[in-house]
Parts: sequence; C-alpha cells; structure tokens
Amino acid sequence: MPPASLGHGVGLRREHFERVLSAPTRVDWFEVISENFMADGGRPVDVLEQVRARYPIVLHGVSLSIGSTDPLNRPYLDRLAALARRTEPAWVSDHLCWAGIGGHYAHDLLPLPYTEEALRHVVERVQQVQEHLRRPIALENVSSYVTFRQSSLTEWEFLAQIATRSGCGILLDVNNIYVSSRNHGFDPRAYVDGIPKDSVWQFHLAGHSDKGKYLLDTHDHPVPDPVWDLYARAVERFGKVSALVEWDDRIPDFERLEEETQRARVIEARVLGQAAAAGAAGEAASGARPPAAP
Amino acid sequence: MTARLALQGTESLFWDLITAPEGVRPGLETLVRDGKAAPSAIDALIAGDERLPAAERLDIYANMYFFRLLDCLREDFPRLASALGEDRFHNLATDYLMAHPSENPSLRYLGRRLPEFLAGHSLARESSCLADLALLEWTRADLFDAADARPLGRDDLGRLSQEQAGDLTLRAVPAFLLLRLDHDAPRLWRDLRDREASAGVPEAGSGSGAETVAGADSAAATWGAGAANAAHLGEQSGGRCEAGHLHEARPAPPLPRQRRRPTAVRVWRRGFTVFHRAVEDEEAALLDLVVEGTTLSRVAQRLSAGRSQARATEAVGRLLQVWLDAGILEDLR
Repeated sequence: MPPASLGHGVGLRREHFERVLSAPTRVDWFEVISENFMADGGRPVDVLEQVRARYPIVLHGVSLSIGSTDPLNRPYLDRLAALARRTEPAWVSDHLCWAGIGGHYAHDLLPLPYTEEALRHVVERVQQVQEHLRRPIALENVSSYVTFRQSSLTEWEFLAQIATRSGCGILLDVNNIYVSSRNHGFDPRAYVDGIPKDSVWQFHLAGHSDKGKYLLDTHDHPVPDPVWDLYARAVERFGKVSALVEWDDRIPDFERLEEETQRARVIEARVLGQAAAAGAAGEAASGARPPAAP
Repeated sequence: MTARLALQGTESLFWDLITAPEGVRPGLETLVRDGKAAPSAIDALIAGDERLPAAERLDIYANMYFFRLLDCLREDFPRLASALGEDRFHNLATDYLMAHPSENPSLRYLGRRLPEFLAGHSLARESSCLADLALLEWTRADLFDAADARPLGRDDLGRLSQEQAGDLTLRAVPAFLLLRLDHDAPRLWRDLRDREASAGVPEAGSGSGAETVAGADSAAATWGAGAANAAHLGEQSGGRCEAGHLHEARPAPPLPRQRRRPTAVRVWRRGFTVFHRAVEDEEAALLDLVVEGTTLSRVAQRLSAGRSQARATEAVGRLLQVWLDAGILEDLR
C-alpha cells in the first residue's frame, strides 16, 4: 500500500531557507535533494535539522543512477543510508534513469530504452538498493527527448513493471508525463491510466519551457494549465496522494510557491469532493432503488 | 551479446555522443573514424522525426551536459570566471571536463582538480596567478560544508588558570586550511570583486560586502537543485554557443598580471560564512603547529625567540586574540 498522504509540499531550495525557518508556512512538507545534504557540516546540515524538526521531509536523490550498467556506487549508498537514518524521511526517492557510465557522471537524468533487458537490470538493482537502505524506495519518471528504437514497451508499461516486480513505489511526475507526451506524441492520459492504482506514493508538479520543436523540463515557470488538468486526472485515478511543487530556476518568493500548492490543494479537494459526491449520490441512488425482486 | 551488454552498449554510445565536446554529429564522425560506431549509429539508436531529427534530440542532452557543468564551475570559481571572461572560461571548462569528467555523484566535487589542471594549462603560462586564484576559490567552496566544531572563545580561555591555559591544546577547527601560494591571490580576489562591484555585477553567493567575505554560498550553489532538471540550461542551449571551444568572438578582459610573491593564506569558516586572509610568515608557521595540534606554551615559546619577555607576551596575546575572534581554534575540552 502507498504511504498516507503528507499533503501538499514544495522542494526546499536555499533561496527560501531563511523564509522557511523564520515563520510558519502554508505547506505541509518539504522534499530535499539528498545529495545537497550529504555534507559533514555547515549551513546545509543545520538547515535540514531545523526543517526536519518542524515538517515531514522526503529525500529525493538525483544520482542513484539506477539504470546505469556501472556497478551501484556503494559509498554513495552508504551516505544515503546514513542521511536517511539521521533525518528519518517519510520515504526516499530517485529517478528511473541512468546518470553516467564508466565511473563518470553526467549530473543529468538520462533516458533508458524500454526493453525487457533494461527492465530486469533495473529491477535487480532496485532490490539491491532497497536491501541496502532497508526500506522501499520510490522512482520518478523523467522527462525525455529521445525514443530508443529498441524499446519494446511504452514508458508507462516499463515504469509499472518496475514497480510491480521490485516492490518500489512510483513518484509520478505529472509535468514530466506532459513534457514527454508532447515530445514523443503520446496521449498523457493513457500514461496516467496505465499506472497501477496502488503504486503511486507521490506526485510532482512543475513548469516547463516551450522551445518550439520540443518542450524542455525547466522547472522555471508556474505549473501550466495542461499539467493542472493532468494532475486532476491523476487525483481522480490515484486519490489523495502527497503532491509537491518543484520550482528550481528563476525561483520566485516563497509565497508564490505557496500559491501553487494552494492551487493543487483546491484541485485535489474538488476532484475528491466530486468523487465523494458521486459516491454518495451512487449510494443514495442505490438506497432509493426498489428492492430487488426475490 | 547478453542483455546487460546490450544495455551497456546503448549507454556507452549515448554517453560518447552527448559528451563529445565538438557536438553530437562531429562526435559520431570521430567514433566512426576510430572504428567505434557505424555512420548510421545515431539513426539506429534513436527514432527521430521531421520535427526533431535523432541527432537534434541528442543535442538537447549534449548541451544540458556541458552547460550544467559549466554553470557549476562558474558558481565555484566566480572570480576566476570574472578574470577570464566568459569565452575563456568556457574554453577552460571544456578542456577541464575533457580531462576530468565528473567522478562523483555529487556536483560539489566537480571543480576539485581545476586548480591543479589550470596550473598546467596554457592560460597559466600567460597569467601564472590564475591557478592560485582558483585554489583560493576552491578552498573557500570546500570549507563551506566541512564538519562543524565548537570554536574556542575568549570567555572559555578567561575561565582557565594560567597553568591550565598554558597546557591547553590548540587545534584548528575542521573548516580551516592554510594555503601557501606563489602569488597574492587574496589581493587579486579583492580586486576582481571590486571590479565586479563597480560594473554592477551582483555579488556571487551570499552577497556579503565584508572585505574577506563573499561567496559563502558558492558551494551551496554547486549542489543546488538544478541537478534535477534542465533549468536554465535550456536557455543557453538555444543560444549562440555549443559545447566545445569558442573563438573569442567578443572582447575579453585583459588577463591579470601579478609578480610572484609567496603568500600564506588562512581560509576558514565561522558559523556559515567562509573567510580568508593573507598572513605573515610567522603566523603561518604557528598555524602549521595549530593544524597539527599544539599548546599555548609551545606557541609562546616560538614567539619568544628574538623578543623580550614583555614583547613575547604581547605578541602571544595579540595573536591569540585574533585567532579566538576569528573562530579558528576548536574547543577540545
């Protein structure tokens, strides 16, 4: 079963450290980039301790490189495990991608071919990571700009199979689905509908840039309407799931981020309210129904 | 070929193409020349379309790769970037990343070998002080998130008897490093900061205006959230330049010139702010002892050489005051 919803959060960025620590906020939780806090001391460690004392947090990594054919980086996993022990996050997540090869890192989220071979490879490594961390992890779908000719599965089939076979959760990035759908020409609703209902632990919401020939996942804009629409559909399918707004460049005031989380909160309430109303109406209707004939 | 090797081959080709400094298509030509790929490798790997051919799709990753790392280096070496100008810094970053691709899952360590690399680079033949400037900046970035320690304060020392004080172990906090440079890099650092300020360039990092304080957040920037997404890299990738060398189409600032002047610099973090200061030879020698761990008596003994008792006592008091106020000494009690 997916963990209970933490509500509506934002990614913790250094531009907001002082604001977050100096006064109450209207967000329920924070997601932090794991690598940013694998430090021995200094401000990052201090800030994280203070934020953790006040809010639930989730560790979100960018360098697990779960799809790489390099061996898993054990020192990195040790540091991640230590950080998780120290901060007791609600969960730990990273990306369904690879980040480098040959001992080198691109510091980017590189796409995988959606093949049975890659599937087996990733599942095996997810299980190793989960054993190392002694907890299940969640993996996020990334934005992509290429389609490998050798892919034999759709992205959502691949992601669903990873979750089903490894037992990991899914961090469903709604913006990434939308960006990739435009870049590759698939129906984003089919993606959402193709993910198993009980596998999604968290949503990501963000903005992107239209580069003319393609959309680029830039996290430097408000969440656009098509992504909100897709979020509504995701809430309809997956129910009340922790949702997080990411804004990583041209970062606005914290209050602007809070507005985005408020919008997500309203959409979630509307969709769930409609679902509840529909359920209640259904019950009322069935209650009013004449008894079945014996 | 096993499944694992098939995936490995895919990742290997993808990597070679997106990290080729000259760009994806010329990168393929190099691979073909070296017998590592077929001329049709890109189209065999990636499905392109009329709107966005396969090579252009790979270009998106290639530009993100380079510009993300370039941005990271610029964040850690803001004064070096300023001294070189945009195009020279771009070219230096290209050369550096070819020689030293990132080997750590954290971007924080990307620039670790840049000072050493720069010392052997052609730029250093034109301006030998650049490598020292880079080392000063890297040390500042490196100490930003070094281990915490409680610093010894004046009050702590005041509570000790004279005998206890004499036996007190003096050791530097973990976030401390003594550099021995061939040039007066602190002066160059300050001059560049002043030049940026007069040109209206926003202060890098923390924005502090104190003389030896700036860029305290510079290391933080390197592990900033941008690693999770393309961020502004996309803006750059659509711009004038590609990864690889630029040919100085725009005017570059004159390279800094400094005569060789051996300079000891202490760099340390107090609270969350990183400081640096050039020190005299005598203080540097004593700081060598402090880094190893010494006693106040030993420091006093060293300072008494060639001084009257009164002057030696005065010198010890003055130096200790400076170190205590700076937060350089760790409270080991």
